[in-house]
Amino acid sequence: MNEVQYIGERLWAGHLGNGFVVLSFVSALFACLAFYLSYKQPAYLKLARLAFSVHGLSVVGIAATLFLMLFNHYFEYQYVWQHSNTEMDMKYILSCFWEGQEGSFLLWTFWNVVLGMILKRQLKDGMWEVPVMTVFALVQVFLASMLLGIYIGDYKIGSNPFLLLREHPEYHDLPFVKMPNYLAKLNGRGLNPLLMNYWMTIHPPTLFLGFASTLIPFAFAIAAFWNGQYTKWQAVALPWTYFGVLVLGVGILMGGAWAYEALNFGGFWAWDPVENASLVPWLVLVAAAHTMIINKNKGGSLFTTHFLSIASFLLVLYSTFLTRSGVLGSASVHAFTDLGMTGQLVLYVLTFIFISVALLVKDSLFRVTYVVVSFLLLFFSVIYGYKKIVLMAWIISSTVITIISYYKYFPKEKEEEELFSREFWMFLGALVLILSSLIITYFTSIPVINKLFNTDYAPPKVPVYNTWMVPFVIILMVLIGASQFLKYKKTEPKKFFKRISYTFILALFFGLVCSIPLYFMNDFSQANGQRKWELVSYSLLFITGLFAVFANIDYWVMILKGRVSKSGSAIAHIGFALLLIGALISTSKKSVISRNTSNKDVSALGEDFDAQESLLLTQGDTLPMGPYLVTYTGKRRKGIDVYFNIDYLKPDPKGKPAFDFSLEAHVQDNPRMGSAADPATRHYLNRDVYTFITSAILSFDTAAAKKNAFGSAKNYIGHVGDTIFSSNAFVIIDSLRTNLSKAEYEKNDSLLEVTAVLRCINTQSKTFIAYPKFIIKKNVVIPMEDIVDELGLKLVFWKINPDDGTIEITMSEKLSNTRDFIVIKAFVFPWINVLWLGCLTMAIGTIIAIVERMRKFRMQKST
Amino acid sequence: MKKLHILGILIIALAIGVIFISLKNTSTYADFSEAISNPDKEYHVVGKLDKTQPQIYDPKVNPDEFLFSMIDNKGVSKQVVLHKSRPQDFEKSEQIVLIGKMSGSNFHANDILMKCPSKYNSGKPELN
Repeated sequence: MNEVQYIGERLWAGHLGNGFVVLSFVSALFACLAFYLSYKQPAYLKLARLAFSVHGLSVVGIAATLFLMLFNHYFEYQYVWQHSNTEMDMKYILSCFWEGQEGSFLLWTFWNVVLGMILKRQLKDGMWEVPVMTVFALVQVFLASMLLGIYIGDYKIGSNPFLLLREHPEYHDLPFVKMPNYLAKLNGRGLNPLLMNYWMTIHPPTLFLGFASTLIPFAFAIAAFWNGQYTKWQAVALPWTYFGVLVLGVGILMGGAWAYEALNFGGFWAWDPVENASLVPWLVLVAAAHTMIINKNKGGSLFTTHFLSIASFLLVLYSTFLTRSGVLGSASVHAFTDLGMTGQLVLYVLTFIFISVALLVKDSLFRVTYVVVSFLLLFFSVIYGYKKIVLMAWIISSTVITIISYYKYFPKEKEEEELFSREFWMFLGALVLILSSLIITYFTSIPVINKLFNTDYAPPKVPVYNTWMVPFVIILMVLIGASQFLKYKKTEPKKFFKRISYTFILALFFGLVCSIPLYFMNDFSQANGQRKWELVSYSLLFITGLFAVFANIDYWVMILKGRVSKSGSAIAHIGFALLLIGALISTSKKSVISRNTSNKDVSALGEDFDAQESLLLTQGDTLPMGPYLVTYTGKRRKGIDVYFNIDYLKPDPKGKPAFDFSLEAHVQDNPRMGSAADPATRHYLNRDVYTFITSAILSFDTAAAKKNAFGSAKNYIGHVGDTIFSSNAFVIIDSLRTNLSKAEYEKNDSLLEVTAVLRCINTQSKTFIAYPKFIIKKNVVIPMEDIVDELGLKLVFWKINPDDGTIEITMSEKLSNTRDFIVIKAFVFPWINVLWLGCLTMAIGTIIAIVERMRKFRMQKST
Repeated sequence: MKKLHILGILIIALAIGVIFISLKNTSTYADFSEAISNPDKEYHVVGKLDKTQPQIYDPKVNPDEFLFSMIDNKGVSKQVVLHKSRPQDFEKSEQIVLIGKMSGSNFHANDILMKCPSKYNSGKPELN
C-alpha cells in the first residue's frame, strides 16, 4: 500500500550523504583502532593515516552534500525543509547549515577534522603522532556517531541530517505523504528570522572552532597519561592552546556583541546558561595555558596542567549536554529542543572521564579492576535502573582513584615553590580561574542538580553572579599586574615591591580620582550595607584593573624595551584588564533614563521591585527623558519588522529643544517565534544610548478599519460653565437654551426642547460649537446627539437633574482619535567602548603570543 | 609543595562554602500555597495564564504594572501584579515562570519568564 511513486525526489543526494555519514563513522573507528595498534606495531601507522584522511574527506563530503541540498532547495529532506525556504536571501544559506543541531555537530566535526589534518602533518613521525591521533580519532568516532541517526533497540544513536521529510517520525502519517507530487507544492519552513543577521554567519563557526581547539591540549594530556611523557608535549601544544584561547574568546565575545546589538538582553552579558557554558571552558583553557608555561619554564604544576587540559574539553562536552539535552528548560532564553540525545551525550562525557582515569592508573591489576567495576556498574544501571545512585557512586570512586593515582604514580616536585616567584603567582592565578569556573559551573548546573537530587532550586539571577565574580576578578587583576615583575625560581621581595609600587601608586591615584565621582560622591552615603560593600568592591576592581594596565605597559616599555615579538602576554593582559574595566563601568554605572513618573512607590516590596523603568510615549507628545526630550513620531513596517521612530532632542544654547538624533527601535513580528524587540543604539565615544520597545501596537490595519467607529461613551455630570476633556480638545458647557418656558410647557403639554451649547476648543485653539438636544414630549425623553466631525466627538445630552440643576452629557470619541503609543526602556551605557577596545587588544596580544611561541617551537626543533 | 596543598584545601573549603551560602539564599521553585505561607520570601512559581480572569495593563496610569491571574501547577489561581510592562506575546505563552513573592492578597512579581509553544518547533509541512 505504501508503494507511492514520488515525483521529483532527488534521492541520490540522501544516499550520497548517508554514504559519507557511514563512511566517516567507520573510517574514524578504523583510524582509531589502527593508530592504537601502531603504538606497539608501527606497521599499522600507514593504514591509520590513510583511514584518518578518508575520515576527513568523508566529513567534508557530508558538509558539501548538505550544503548542496540547502543551496538547491531539496525540501524532500527534513533538515532542508526545516531550516530554509525559497524566499530567503541566499547569503544566509550558511546560517541554515548550522541552525539545527545536526548541522552544528557537523560544523564541530568539520573543525576537528581540519585541526586533525594540520596536526597530523605537524606531528608526522614524531613521538606524539600515534597517541595524539588515537585520541583525536576516538573523539571523531563519537562525534561522527552523532550524525548516524540509527536505532539500536529503543535507543536512537545520533540524528541524521539526510532524513527524508516523509520519513520523519512526526510527519510520516500526514496526508501529504500519500501524494506522489507533494514535492512540487512544498516550500521550506525557513530560517528563523531572528537568526538572519551577520552575527549568525560568523559567531557559530568561530565558537565551534574554539570548541574544536580544546581537543588539542586534551589529546596531548591523554596521550601523556598513556606514554608517561608528562613534560614533553607542552612546547608543541602551547601555540595551539593560545590559538584556542584566542578563537574561543573571540567567539564568546562575538556572542556578547550580538546580544548587545541585536537582542534585548539589556546588556552584552546576561550570565545565561548558554553563555556560561562556553565561558567556563575558556577560563579553564586560559588556566591550562598558564600552567603549561610554568611546566615549560620551570617545571612543576604538571598534574594541574593535565587536569585542566582534560577538563577544558570535558567541559565543552558537558556544555553541549547542558544546552542540547533540554535539561535547562525554562532557565535559558536559548535552550535548544531535545533531540533525544541526552543519554548519548552523558555517556560521552563519562566515557572520556573513564578513559582519563583508567590511563592515569599505572598498576595493571588496579586498572583492570577499575575497568571491570565500571562496566559492571554500567550494565547494572542499564538492566536494573538506579541510574542516579550508580552514577554518583561511580563519580565518587573515580575521584578517589584519581587522587590515589596522583600520589602513587604521578611525578612530583621535590622542592617547594618560593613565595616570591613567578610560577607561584601564575599558579595562584590559575587557581582563581579554576575557582571561578567551579562557581559558575555550579550555578549553571542548578537544573542538573535539581534532576539528580530531586531538589527545586531556582537558577540565580545576574546580580548573584556579579557579586561572586567581582572579588575573584580583583585578585586576578593584582596577579596580572604584579606577576610579570617576578622572576622564575626566586625574586628579592624588596626589589619586587619597589618595582611595582610606582605603577600601583599611579593606579591608586587615578583609580580614586575616577571612582570617587563614580561610586562614592552620590551613591555611597545613601547606600545600605550590602550596596556599600558593592561600591567599595567596584572601586577596588577599578583601581586594580588600572594597576594591571599600567604595570603591563610598564613591563612592556621598561623591561621588554617595547619589543613587539615578546609583548604578546603584556598586550593580552592589558586587553583583558581593559575589557573588565569597560564591563565594570558600563554595567555598574548603567543608568536607566526612561524612568516613569507614575509616582507609585513599590520599593516597600524590596529592592528588586523598585523598577519604574519604562516610559509611555504617545505619538506626537514630547517628554523629558534623562538629559533628553523624546518624541515618538510614528511607525513603519518593512517585511516582518515594525520600526518605531523616536526623536531625541536636546536643549540648544538658548534652552530651546533642538533635534539631536533619532533612533528606530524595531520589533520583529515573527510568525514563527512570536514578536521580539530589537534595540536601537546611538554610539558615542564615551557612551551608548540604548533604547528598546517593551510594549507597542504592532498592527496598522485595526485603526483604519475602525476609523469611523466610536469608542465607549463616558458620562459627565456638571453645571453650565464646566469643562469636559477629550483626548484632543476641551469642551465647555457654554449655556442651555429652551424653546419654551417651564410654565408654557406645563400648560400646553407640548414639546420641550433643551439645547446645550457646547464650545469645543481643539489644541490649536480653534472652536467648534456642538448643539446636542434634550427633548421631552409627554414625559418621554428623546436625546438628540450632535457630532463634531472635525474632532471626531459624539456628544449626547440626556439628563437634567431638577434637584441640583446639573445636567448629564455623554461623550464618545472616534477610535481613530486615540493616538498610537509605545512603551520604551532606555539605558545609557557609559564607556562601553573600553570593553570593545579591550577585546581587540586582547586578541592582538594573543596573536603576537601565538606567533612567538610558534617561532620558539621551530627554533627548538631545528637545534 | 606544602604551600600548594594548603591552598588546594582552602580552595575546596571556599567552594563548599560558596555552595552552602548560595543554597541558603537561593530562591526555589514553589507553588502559590508555599508562597502564601512564607509571605516575604522570594519564589519562582510555575503556572499557566488564567484566561477566565481579566488582565489590566494601562500604560497611561503606570507602564510598569500589569495585572493578571495565573493558575499554578496545583490548580490554584492567584491575582498577580507584575511590576514590569506587559510582555509582548503574553497571550501566546504556554507556560509562565513568575519570580517574586506574596504580599497582601496578591503575588508580586519582579520578573517573568515565558515559554511560547512556537519557539524553534512549530509548523508542519504544508502544501500550497
